[in-house]
Amino acid sequence: MKRRDFLASASAISLPVMVNGFGITSLSNRSSLVQALMGTAAAATDRILVIIYLNGGNDGLNTVIPLQYYSKYQGIRSNIAIPEAKVLTLSGMPEAGLHPAMTGMRDMYNQGRLAIVNSVSYPNPNQSHHRSSDIWMTATDANQYANSGWAGRYLDNRFPGYPQNYPNDTMKDPLALQIGVLNSTSLLGPQSPMNISVENVNNFYALLNGGQGLPTNDLPCCEAGEMIKHVRQQQILSTGYSGQIKKAYDAGQTLAAYPAAGTTTELSEQLKIVARLIHGGLQTKIYFVELGGFDTHGDQVTAGDTTVGTHATLLKRLSEGVSSFQNDLVAQGTADRVVGMTFSDFGRRANSNASRGTDHGVAAPMFVFGNGIKRQMVGVVPDLNNDLEPPTTSPTNENQEVKMQVDFRRVYSDILRDWFGAQGTVTDSLLFRNFKTTSLFSNVIETTASGAWPDRSIWSAGRPPGAGDYVRVNPGHVVAVGQNITVRNIEVEGGGELNILGNYVINTTG
Amino acid sequence: MAYLDPYTVPLTANKAAHLLRRATFGPTRAEITAFTGLNPGTAVDQLFANVAVTASPPPPIDLTPTSPNYQKPLMSYPFIASKSGEHSVHLRYWWVGLMMLQNNKPSVLEKLTAFWQNHFVVSQNVMADYRYMYRYLKFLRDNSLGNFKTMTIGITKDPAMLIFQNGHGNNKDHPNENYARELQELFTVGQQDYYGNPNYTEEDVKAASKVLTGWMVTNYYVSGTSDFTANFHRNYHDTSNKTFSAKYGGITIQGRSDDTAGDVEMNELVDMLLRHPETPKHICRKLYRWYVNQNVTQDIENNVIVPLAAFFASPENNYNIKPVLEKLLKSEIFFADQNVGSIIKSPMEYLLGMGRYFELPCPDMMTDTAAYVNYIRFFLWGMGGMNLEILTQPLVFGYPPYYQVGYSKNWINGSTITARRGNSDTIIFPSQVVKPGYTLGIDFLAWIQKIQPNFADSSGTPAITPDEVLAAFSKNLFALDLSDTQKNYLIDVVFMQNLPRIEWRYELNAYRSNPANTTAANSVKNRCSNLMRYMIRMAEYEVF
Repeated sequence: MKRRDFLASASAISLPVMVNGFGITSLSNRSSLVQALMGTAAAATDRILVIIYLNGGNDGLNTVIPLQYYSKYQGIRSNIAIPEAKVLTLSGMPEAGLHPAMTGMRDMYNQGRLAIVNSVSYPNPNQSHHRSSDIWMTATDANQYANSGWAGRYLDNRFPGYPQNYPNDTMKDPLALQIGVLNSTSLLGPQSPMNISVENVNNFYALLNGGQGLPTNDLPCCEAGEMIKHVRQQQILSTGYSGQIKKAYDAGQTLAAYPAAGTTTELSEQLKIVARLIHGGLQTKIYFVELGGFDTHGDQVTAGDTTVGTHATLLKRLSEGVSSFQNDLVAQGTADRVVGMTFSDFGRRANSNASRGTDHGVAAPMFVFGNGIKRQMVGVVPDLNNDLEPPTTSPTNENQEVKMQVDFRRVYSDILRDWFGAQGTVTDSLLFRNFKTTSLFSNVIETTASGAWPDRSIWSAGRPPGAGDYVRVNPGHVVAVGQNITVRNIEVEGGGELNILGNYVINTTG
Repeated sequence: MAYLDPYTVPLTANKAAHLLRRATFGPTRAEITAFTGLNPGTAVDQLFANVAVTASPPPPIDLTPTSPNYQKPLMSYPFIASKSGEHSVHLRYWWVGLMMLQNNKPSVLEKLTAFWQNHFVVSQNVMADYRYMYRYLKFLRDNSLGNFKTMTIGITKDPAMLIFQNGHGNNKDHPNENYARELQELFTVGQQDYYGNPNYTEEDVKAASKVLTGWMVTNYYVSGTSDFTANFHRNYHDTSNKTFSAKYGGITIQGRSDDTAGDVEMNELVDMLLRHPETPKHICRKLYRWYVNQNVTQDIENNVIVPLAAFFASPENNYNIKPVLEKLLKSEIFFADQNVGSIIKSPMEYLLGMGRYFELPCPDMMTDTAAYVNYIRFFLWGMGGMNLEILTQPLVFGYPPYYQVGYSKNWINGSTITARRGNSDTIIFPSQVVKPGYTLGIDFLAWIQKIQPNFADSSGTPAITPDEVLAAFSKNLFALDLSDTQKNYLIDVVFMQNLPRIEWRYELNAYRSNPANTTAANSVKNRCSNLMRYMIRMAEYEVF
């Protein structure tokens, strides 16, 4: 109650400055950002986020393979390493490649629709599934607890008074829709879940059919079976907003190819439903879908071929589902207003175990996809020679973890502020403090600290700006330049400084 | 198989639970254990013998802490009209407390009293005098295993019923047919027989109403009065002869005019009603629907209702209730597989049953009154939100799911599903404080500690598996056994959330080796509460 009151009053006293529907905190400071944002076609109020939960802790090093450090990669996980020649290479990004099962997402990368955020985690990482996924979903520090989820808090802030005052004339549809068994903590608001959920794809279709069409093969005989069937139908019919959901589903169409009958997966079917609802005009802001099975302690790959096995199957499902979904959005013309993101409980250990698997670890890549991304690589692939923790192994501890580069809450912050257009102060309060941008949705890379230009740790995107980037040196930051540079433009804020160490050229291409 | 033959197979846990679910408001787990293996006849006999344990409970008391009469019996001081609403609710608290009593002496009493209360309905929607209501309820409770004729006569001149069905206003100059109709349509012969033929005529309603003229109550809703009763007033009695239709054999009840006329004519009327062959069938059908199955097929009519009714009305039984209910509860048909899980739980069976199954103890009304109120409040208003307010039937017909087409299916709709889920969540995620040190709900960590052998010895004794957790948590939770597919789904998808099952053992051992660690404890607790929440929300949990 107290927390809700706090949030309500916080939003009441500081009205956002609206620019084309965007809440921009400090217009003058972020002028390049504003330009960048205004370049996108859709209004912010139409924007949608699709969250894909990879349940179990995805093995990052076999998802995005650090080609730059291939021999070390091969050395620390020889029994599961993907052969170098089989790794899918990425256009213009030689340091990284994708698992061979991920052709769909490779194509998305090459088309500019997929971003890889490298080595995402949080300080003091926890390796309990329960606790770590809770940290990801509540967006707290590792030693703090919250009773609501990050996306739930956002929706509660944007749609105050839910669920009592909803649906209403301005919001007739579910704020969030989840297809899954258990309500995700991510969508839990301060008072109640902010989402409508449907247990699985079958139940979704039963909902469209007025509760008819549920499987009957598990019903007991006689009246008991009849009663159970009745209750199940009523449960389906009691799904909130079912009328609106059905209306949108009926109005929408599927315009792209999804995995063919017989090869469909729960994830591809879920995303197919989501795309059709979007096409049908459902105003739902956040969709949450899930793919389970990533806890690959053993037999992650087969003995004979490391490119097949449990993990390959999972990544194929992910890649096929996501790429079909993206193609569908493009065909619908809705691709500009939908982004998706993946997350998992944690990454897995850098070194493999003896069971051709990997144990619980720390950092792993997140994927963010859609036309709205302005950057395809945040951070760099894990430097397996220098960035493992601990740096060296010993006979008593042969385990090494992938070190964090990016706090996951920086991605959340970018999604809330730059994608959904939440005010900066609101975003900060929803995430309990300010998190520096990763510039995922901006073609401006800004400084986060002082240092030498090539030092990736001083840049918001976790890597030095390239020729296509606008650059901003923030107040108080001094960047030492000891090389020639080509960027689109550089803006040095008052109190910021470019310290040119010699006779070097800075080319701006506009 | 003759359906009414005694079932003689020693009770499995499943059948013991079935008996207890139907004959009481739901078993505690300890009761199921105690009844497992018993001969069905012995088990049923215990349910009747245990009636004596709670036959004379402490009467209802004033539960408002700020009231000058706090904790005093409601009947111990003169009527206070301004307190009628409050005290009427206190009466409900009293009865729900009896339903929730867990003394390891399960008995048929409260469930059977509830049957009669939903048969001879008086509703607090109308009945504003809590003394009247208590007397009425106590009469039903005291006579629930007694004689049906005694009960019918008693209820016909019960002060609360005289108010509720306008008998109080029924006199020779202004006859009121309300009670005379319900007496026949609902309480005795029933509106029609199994084949749809009417059991009485409109003339019979008029004639019966004349028989019942002259009964009046005293001190209804009069503040400061210490007693009340129902009296017969011969001056208001219709002294004419009352002739009934061929449905009753064309009998005439001779009109009388002395002070005994009311009782004598009423006695003859009830005798006539009870001689009607449809009366015992009507009552037996209703008992069958309450205890066994709401679908009375032609086969059931022929082979259960007709013979049971014949026994009910037979000279040797003479309308005694207890032998009939004994026969039914001991029968083959009661224990038949197809009748297990055949009814959707009413809010009583759902919520009271949940509190009893999870063995959430009811504080003592007299010595722990504030805690008692906190405890009962949850169950009483929880049931209200699910469309059953105790003692508050919308009409004299009773709660609609006991008579309307579809019967118990009527308990389930979008809003009641939401209410059921909300109430069960309160039990699964404990938040309601009954008193310091007692929060209502399931303590999953304590449960795990109990079922894990050598809990503290995580290195020497293996952690219990997810299958074992499911087996413990779902033991007799459902009326019907889950299929293997359902069990695997519950374990892998709901409990493990698609993680390998071995993860649970890591997590449980982490908790065993460091029980004070919040993260370790929460990961165990959350898996358990997710599993239970899902199971309670399954349609399979809704049937009993």
